[in-house]
Amino acid sequence: MSAILRVTDLRKSYSGIHALDGVSFDVEAGSITGLIGPNGSGKSTAIDCISGFQKLGGGKVVLGDADITGRPAHLIARAGLMRTFQTVRVYDRLSLADNLAIAAQQFDPATWIDEFLRTRRYRQAVEASEKRARQLVELIGLQRYYEAETGILSYGQKKLVALAAALMPHPKIVVLDEPVAGVNPSRIREIEVALQQLNQAGETFLIVEHNVQFITTLCHRVIVLEQGRKLTEGTAAEIHTDARVLEAYLGMTPEMAEAEMRGAA
Amino acid sequence: MTIDAVYILQLTLNGLALGLLYALIAVGLSLIFGVMEIINFAHGELLMLGAYAMTFALPVVGLLYWPALAAAILLVMLAGLLVYEILLARLRPDEFERSILITLGLSIILIHTVQYFFTATPRIVDTQYGFDGVEIGNIRITLTRLIGAAAALVAFAGLYSTLRFTQFGRAMRAIAQNREAALMVGIRPRVVARNAMVLAAGLCGLGGAALAPIQLVTPYMGQFLIFKAFALVTIGGLGNIPGAVVAAVVLGLLESVIGGFFASAWQEGSVFVVMIVALLLRPEGLFKRGGMRVG
Amino acid sequence: MKLAAALAAAAVFAVLPLLTSSNYVIGIGISALVFTTAAAALNLVYGFTGLLSFAQLGFWGIGGYAAALTVVGLGGSFWSGVVLAGVICGTIALVVGYPMLRTNRHAFVIATLTFALLATLIARDWVSLTRGPLGIPDLPAPEAFGRRFDTPRQFYWIAWAFAMAAIAFLFALCSSRIGRTLVAIKQNEPLVRAQGISPMPYKLAAFALSAAITGAAGGVYCFNLRIIDPTFLDFYYMQTFLIIVIIGGAGSFWGVIGAGIALSALPEALRFSEDLRMIIYGVILVVAMFVMPSGVAGWLRERRLARMREALR
Repeated sequence: MSAILRVTDLRKSYSGIHALDGVSFDVEAGSITGLIGPNGSGKSTAIDCISGFQKLGGGKVVLGDADITGRPAHLIARAGLMRTFQTVRVYDRLSLADNLAIAAQQFDPATWIDEFLRTRRYRQAVEASEKRARQLVELIGLQRYYEAETGILSYGQKKLVALAAALMPHPKIVVLDEPVAGVNPSRIREIEVALQQLNQAGETFLIVEHNVQFITTLCHRVIVLEQGRKLTEGTAAEIHTDARVLEAYLGMTPEMAEAEMRGAA
Repeated sequence: MTIDAVYILQLTLNGLALGLLYALIAVGLSLIFGVMEIINFAHGELLMLGAYAMTFALPVVGLLYWPALAAAILLVMLAGLLVYEILLARLRPDEFERSILITLGLSIILIHTVQYFFTATPRIVDTQYGFDGVEIGNIRITLTRLIGAAAALVAFAGLYSTLRFTQFGRAMRAIAQNREAALMVGIRPRVVARNAMVLAAGLCGLGGAALAPIQLVTPYMGQFLIFKAFALVTIGGLGNIPGAVVAAVVLGLLESVIGGFFASAWQEGSVFVVMIVALLLRPEGLFKRGGMRVG
Repeated sequence: MKLAAALAAAAVFAVLPLLTSSNYVIGIGISALVFTTAAAALNLVYGFTGLLSFAQLGFWGIGGYAAALTVVGLGGSFWSGVVLAGVICGTIALVVGYPMLRTNRHAFVIATLTFALLATLIARDWVSLTRGPLGIPDLPAPEAFGRRFDTPRQFYWIAWAFAMAAIAFLFALCSSRIGRTLVAIKQNEPLVRAQGISPMPYKLAAFALSAAITGAAGGVYCFNLRIIDPTFLDFYYMQTFLIIVIIGGAGSFWGVIGAGIALSALPEALRFSEDLRMIIYGVILVVAMFVMPSGVAGWLRERRLARMREALR
């Protein structure tokens, strides 16, 4: 496997405070990679810098073969990195179908002239986009809301819509910012299943999350940040027993964690 | 052309007076924006109300300046309170466009109600000081102008100490700087917003009342000033009070000097041209503090 | 169905001069057509894109002066004047729009207001160009195919044709993918950027197209008045456009068109006192912002959504 996203020595500081102090990691193509860390460890800043929503102070971000360091957000998206947001963002006053169609429209070859003349290129683009949208809506189980405005959906359902929208243009990688934060626990399992299915179909994910259980069930690899630096990196099992991680992130000693594991089992 | 020193001095003094007047309005706008993130389109009409209140109060109190001034300021503060409680209290902080349209409606209502009852005829009002003045060399300044300028300076000193040293001043600054954090330490945004609105109205009332004996009083007097004040607070960086004061005084001087040497069209237009240039250079306003919060 | 209703309304407006002999009614009809067009253009920037632009008033005035000066100063025809008015306003909007749109939404409102005031000052003070407060009277009647559109009745056809063309264009734009993208930008700009779309070209295009249409509308309207002077930039026009958009429902294409037709008659009905009329305007604005902030169309929409939520329970 090869790295689809390569982040090297990422730096960012706000008025003297180092939010990111030289973070490097790779995301393998076809993997689900987790990015965890306690509050203020810099994980949200990291993905904001990678996706172009914040100016980075230094470092390099390479997506596939393209250097996307410091490019504006919309060009990074066009290069194939789609992201979701911590507080869910959808177009509340547009239908689910339109929400998905907009997410894909920048990626098809049809211009406004094609649309005006209703050329074949335009019709094909719309058809392809609709086909993809129907597939994704089925996957997230919201078929009956296809024509409805997303404003009437619940918070968890909107998170699913945001996920589907990010997948619309067949991106190289999808970055999910806390996909299950604020979601009803009974629905978390649904999101897990959807992500696993998508991953098996070949999608690559980078997930920032607080919910450790969610991360350890899903992710092939986990990167742990603390105070703007990479604390460690490894498989879910390795992370779960790493003394430094437990202390920094969970505030526990390995013995306590073991006791808890035994208790849970 | 020889440049006459006395003429320059005269222009400077006029410019300072004008700048102080702009500052009275702009500071209020800035305060309201800082606390509520809205723009009060009817702010100029509060000034106009102050001027009319002065015009009607003076004859009642036998042309005595100070009681009439106090009455006018109190009346406008009351008006500010009513505007807040009836209209603005219902707005959420992110409803910027809605706040503009509501206060625009209020501004239309106030202007035309005053015009309906008192007609558009400009009014002149006399005070106990009449046309008394002080002479400095060849320049003569009427007392009403001097007192107006002094009152504005006192008001700024008062505002500064209020914001700096009192509990409710601190609350106001806290909200303007970081709304979420202020809410978390138990500051009540409604109370603070109401205080800010009343305070801003008071400054406007002072401006209007001090202006009444100097200038003609008409229903539209606030409108001309408010549009310039909008430009000023934008140049200063919306919500930035010191920025608004600096921009107001500098532009008052600039306008006066330009008016002294060029056609009046340039004088009126200068503020707007400066604003456009300023926005080109610094889209966030000249004095907006940079940097972000860590979060 | 909405389209059918619109076509029916267009047909009724087309035959209006045959139904009445009153020049007064015809005059209201002309105002209704032109104001509705200008309001629809404002709806494009404010309702669809979410940019509250007071610059519309400036473009209205610049368009009026551009058309009048083309005819009186350059000896061009009415038609070239209106086209030039649109082109000039569109170009100015591109130039001033870029720095304005780079600021935040708060500063944008004030910058557009400033632009409108500057236009007013120019109309009043640049006497060698605009003839100052005296204005340019006796604008000649438009001519085409050897016919003079002299009477209000004849001018009405011009206003009708102009309004239909402009509204059809705006409808095609708003119901296209471009229109849908504008709505998306209004609702959630960061999400739009995360989906690979740069908001600036869209906003700038909406601002410029709206300016061009508003300018052309101003050009048509000043030839209806047969005179242009600085009162053509009176804030009253801006208020009228705004009230039409707000009552109709910002962001609802047909809502605004309907409100334009309905409300253009209102100022005429309230002719008895200028001040009372303006007070009523103000009260309508304030009350509408509280009772139905998204207009009649928004109110109907809310009811439909409520039913939908009920059905999906």
